[in-house]
Amino acid sequence: MKNDLWVEKYRPTTIADVIGNEEAKTLFVEWLENKRPTKKAVLLYGPAGVGKTTLVNVAGNEYKFRIIEMNASDTRSEKAINRVATPATSFTGLDKFSSEIKGNLLFLDEVDGIAGNEDRGGVNAIIKIIENTHTPIVMAANDIDIEKLRPLKKLCVLIKFQQTRIPLIIMSLKRICEQENITYEFEALEKIAINSQGDVRSAINDLQGLSEEGRTLTEQDTLALGHRNKDISMYDTLKNYFAAKNTVEATNILSYSTVECDDLLMSIGDNMSKRYTDPTKLAEAYNYLSLSDVFRGRVGTENWHLLKYVYNNLAQAAIVDPESYKPFELVTPPIRVITLFWTKPKRTLLTNICTKIGTQCHTSKHEAKMLFIPYLRLMLQQKKNTSTLIKWLKLTPEEVTFLTGLKMF
Amino acid sequence: MAINEETLMWVEKYRPKNLKDVVDQHDIVESLKAFMRKPKAMPHLMFAGIPGTGKTTTALCIARELFGTQNWKNFTLELNASDERGIDTVRERVKDFSRYSRGAFGDVPFALIILDECDQMTGPAQTALRRIMETSSRTSRFILICNQSSKIIEPIQSRCAIFRFSRLDRTAMVEHLRDIGKKENVNASSEAIWRIVDYAEGDLRHAINALQTAAAYKDGAEVDEKVVSQIIGEASPKQVQLMLNKAINGDFIEARRVMYDIIGIYGFTGAEIIRQMQKELFKISYITPEQKAEFSNILGEYDYRLTQGANSDLQLSALLAQFARVGKALGDSS
Repeated sequence: MKNDLWVEKYRPTTIADVIGNEEAKTLFVEWLENKRPTKKAVLLYGPAGVGKTTLVNVAGNEYKFRIIEMNASDTRSEKAINRVATPATSFTGLDKFSSEIKGNLLFLDEVDGIAGNEDRGGVNAIIKIIENTHTPIVMAANDIDIEKLRPLKKLCVLIKFQQTRIPLIIMSLKRICEQENITYEFEALEKIAINSQGDVRSAINDLQGLSEEGRTLTEQDTLALGHRNKDISMYDTLKNYFAAKNTVEATNILSYSTVECDDLLMSIGDNMSKRYTDPTKLAEAYNYLSLSDVFRGRVGTENWHLLKYVYNNLAQAAIVDPESYKPFELVTPPIRVITLFWTKPKRTLLTNICTKIGTQCHTSKHEAKMLFIPYLRLMLQQKKNTSTLIKWLKLTPEEVTFLTGLKMF
Repeated sequence: MAINEETLMWVEKYRPKNLKDVVDQHDIVESLKAFMRKPKAMPHLMFAGIPGTGKTTTALCIARELFGTQNWKNFTLELNASDERGIDTVRERVKDFSRYSRGAFGDVPFALIILDECDQMTGPAQTALRRIMETSSRTSRFILICNQSSKIIEPIQSRCAIFRFSRLDRTAMVEHLRDIGKKENVNASSEAIWRIVDYAEGDLRHAINALQTAAAYKDGAEVDEKVVSQIIGEASPKQVQLMLNKAINGDFIEARRVMYDIIGIYGFTGAEIIRQMQKELFKISYITPEQKAEFSNILGEYDYRLTQGANSDLQLSALLAQFARVGKALGDSS
């Protein structure tokens, strides 16, 4: 079908079709054939888009396993894992004797995505299953250097995948172009392959996005490719964000930015009054920013599905008045952080003084700050008969000087 | 201590030592005296009421009456719940203390634990506190102090005899200030004292601090209404006022700068700053009551968003931006 995604249409169907990573492929097949006594589970790891998932599926088929897959989109709490995995691994199924199927193969994709609250006990559940399994277990991950996978790694054969080499990617792209009747400049395919940084999947996606039937794909066309995985800094994010002309553009900038959400919110707040000088527009933009922060609060540490509302509101804040945009000098280090850094010594002094007042006057630091500091500083400013009061409160000369010069909040 | 008593903080120097001297809380004092006659029957107590109405003073008086003026400190643990770093610290200190002071003193078979600002404790901390109260009930009695008893969880409330401290009667406050003035040889005019009492809004410590400061300003001369006004002006939240005025006059950038000045030195939370703004807003003379209501509603909206949001600076900034918008519109129309 013409509209099919090429990554799906040209997904390899045999082990031989999977390009690159020959060594890893051999190791995996050997493990699957069970040629040597080895561990019951295998963990394939390496960058995205190099064929880990594909290899498991095609090899599983070739060796007549029924693949039972769970991936990051399933919730993998201990309960959920056990519900699927325990039956899959504890008996081999009735059709073992009646058909060609050798048995089950449990495939847990993206195990590095098991995290925090949602996948409570997930790693432990997997470990238990590996210990009791009668069927092979395959796992895949991008990053295995994370702490929570450490106990899991000990139980697995580790097979490393590397970025697919550029010439191999170019060959794949060429083959697809020929099948799709796309004429091309070789340099264009080269650019796409290099830009993909060894990620076959993204290279094929880019090829499909750039090519049109009946038109030659040129090197010029590839200029439209964004640099993949490029670290878009705070500065660039802010610059593009404030210049956005519509919500689509603003949303794109936000979703490609690698700046952490909380830092971004803070910095947008710091620059908003430079972007909008008209009080009505400024208030409107800040209202969106405020709502964005409200949703950030609701996201907390677990309701990540609400994050889209944070960004939707942020996008709105960017386009309150697109016509008025003029470039301006950005403030990137957050004002809050800078302020709190420079005032820290003073705040510490004040807290210490409040503790001393609290001890003598049976009051909390907070009450000391609100009710005693305003008057105490006035008494000290009089400089008459203050020495015994200072002694009674055990104030140091530094604290006295600080209090005398302190401005009211 | 060889310290000249003249110059200590008067709130401490004139804090009543006996229940009968507590200012203007006669009904409460009478009920408490009954417990003092039979201390074994004393339950946990909870004192609720606005600041400066004698809750801590009453608690300290009870400690003195129970254990005597010599020993009371040995059998009394005073904790500020909001100052202690967490419920674990409270638990540890209560445990250590109740073990140490077991089988306490004479007729009183328990130690006294005074826990101030309990309404600042989180829900889980209060639940833990309830456990602590249960496990140490044979060795300890608690006096829990808070501003609003409604913020204390039900199981704790039901374990306490609750006493509500009402706002102090103004005449009683005036008398108390006069009494202190007499002892300190401060000559204060009647107008000056009434001005202080009006300003203190029922908080006696506030009033005493103001009187002491005024006396320091006059250094022996008569404390008149003028010096009181001066002090009140000096001790009012000038930067909060500045921030408000800048915002209402449409100068958002300057208002936000002042906001960070305040946060930097005083470390206030967003909620504390909004509370201050609310108080000061109604003192502004150049806007109408209707306009104040409009600004106040903005405060209310952002006070709420603050509880929902993640970053109070953003909410405060957004609040100032709304003020600047409304303020600018007022300026343009007049």
